[in-house]
Amino acid sequence: MAELVGVFAASHTPVMLNFPDAIPDQERAAVFDAFQSLGAALRGCRPDVVVVISDDHLHNFFLDNFPAFCIGAAPQYATPIEHWLKAPKSVLPGDTALGAYLLQEALAADFDPAFSMDLTLDHGVLTPLELAGITSEVHVVPIMINCVQPPFPSMRRCLQWGRFLGEAIARYPGNARIAVLATGGLSHDIATPRMGLVNEDFDRRFLDLLASGDDDALVRYATDHVHEAGNGAEEIRTWLLAHGAARGAQFATQYYKAVGNWYTGIGIGAWDIGQ
Amino acid sequence: MSGNWQHGMPTPDAYWIDRVLYDVHHQPDDLARYLKSADAYLKDIPLPDTLKAAIRDNEIGDLYLAGANPYLLRAHCLGLRMPEADFLRSLRAVAKEPDHG
Repeated sequence: MAELVGVFAASHTPVMLNFPDAIPDQERAAVFDAFQSLGAALRGCRPDVVVVISDDHLHNFFLDNFPAFCIGAAPQYATPIEHWLKAPKSVLPGDTALGAYLLQEALAADFDPAFSMDLTLDHGVLTPLELAGITSEVHVVPIMINCVQPPFPSMRRCLQWGRFLGEAIARYPGNARIAVLATGGLSHDIATPRMGLVNEDFDRRFLDLLASGDDDALVRYATDHVHEAGNGAEEIRTWLLAHGAARGAQFATQYYKAVGNWYTGIGIGAWDIGQ
Repeated sequence: MSGNWQHGMPTPDAYWIDRVLYDVHHQPDDLARYLKSADAYLKDIPLPDTLKAAIRDNEIGDLYLAGANPYLLRAHCLGLRMPEADFLRSLRAVAKEPDHG
């Protein structure tokens, strides 16, 4: 059977690549060092493939047909799709077999994902991989959650999805080593009058609840308080999915800093799955 | 709707604002046509003239209030090389609740 070798989560923002100089050198170096540590941890897991849980920022999907969940099943993924993102063009190899397996298992488990065999990935996937220094090293299976346009899947549903994902990975035939990386959040506002405000209290409470083991309280807090953390904080759904995939493993925050001039609470965390 | 979003479901006007912002940055040649003449580009879009003018004049705050998707607004700003300070100023000019919560 396959082995889940690591579960991680990290904030993403294109600002880290587009306007890195918007914060002092020392602060930027600390953030980038934290992402390098994430890269080292991921590399240390020796994954054959990384299931990257993120959101499409209205590049592949539009309001004419917007999936709540979408599993990628393509042999490769060009990135980035944004012509304005300051990142080198690259192609991430995919894993069609794992993508197809997760799709079929999800449907069999009464989830109803869309699937895509032609995604061009955006900064949500690329930025953490780029800053972690592993863009050229990983095969990916993207799972995209709608975090960018109401109406949204509920926070509880995202946790349920995560639990399904963890169980499905454990049942995957063969001996693949599979890691999970969630990217999104934490508190931030995109194109609202609050842009630039970061709600550190929300972020720290959310991170504490991930570590608490009280999943009901976690979901309740995320549901009831996300509006205090900004529209970008809707991306905490990706963290909930990773939390479910870790199936009760202990979460620990690896790094947190409220970075107002990058408009985002920058968090990095990992679940101790005993590898 | 209070909180993070203007609408719990996009209005038809919001859809068409988003349609323009999306196409300008995803359809081949649309950005060039838009930059050549925004008025001509917007001519057949089924939006009130006030919202067409808001798009043309980069009235980001007004577009936010109209329910434009924030990620498309943000991408539009970056894609047009709109000065960051102007983008933020336009948004903050329409602020009613400057703080979270």
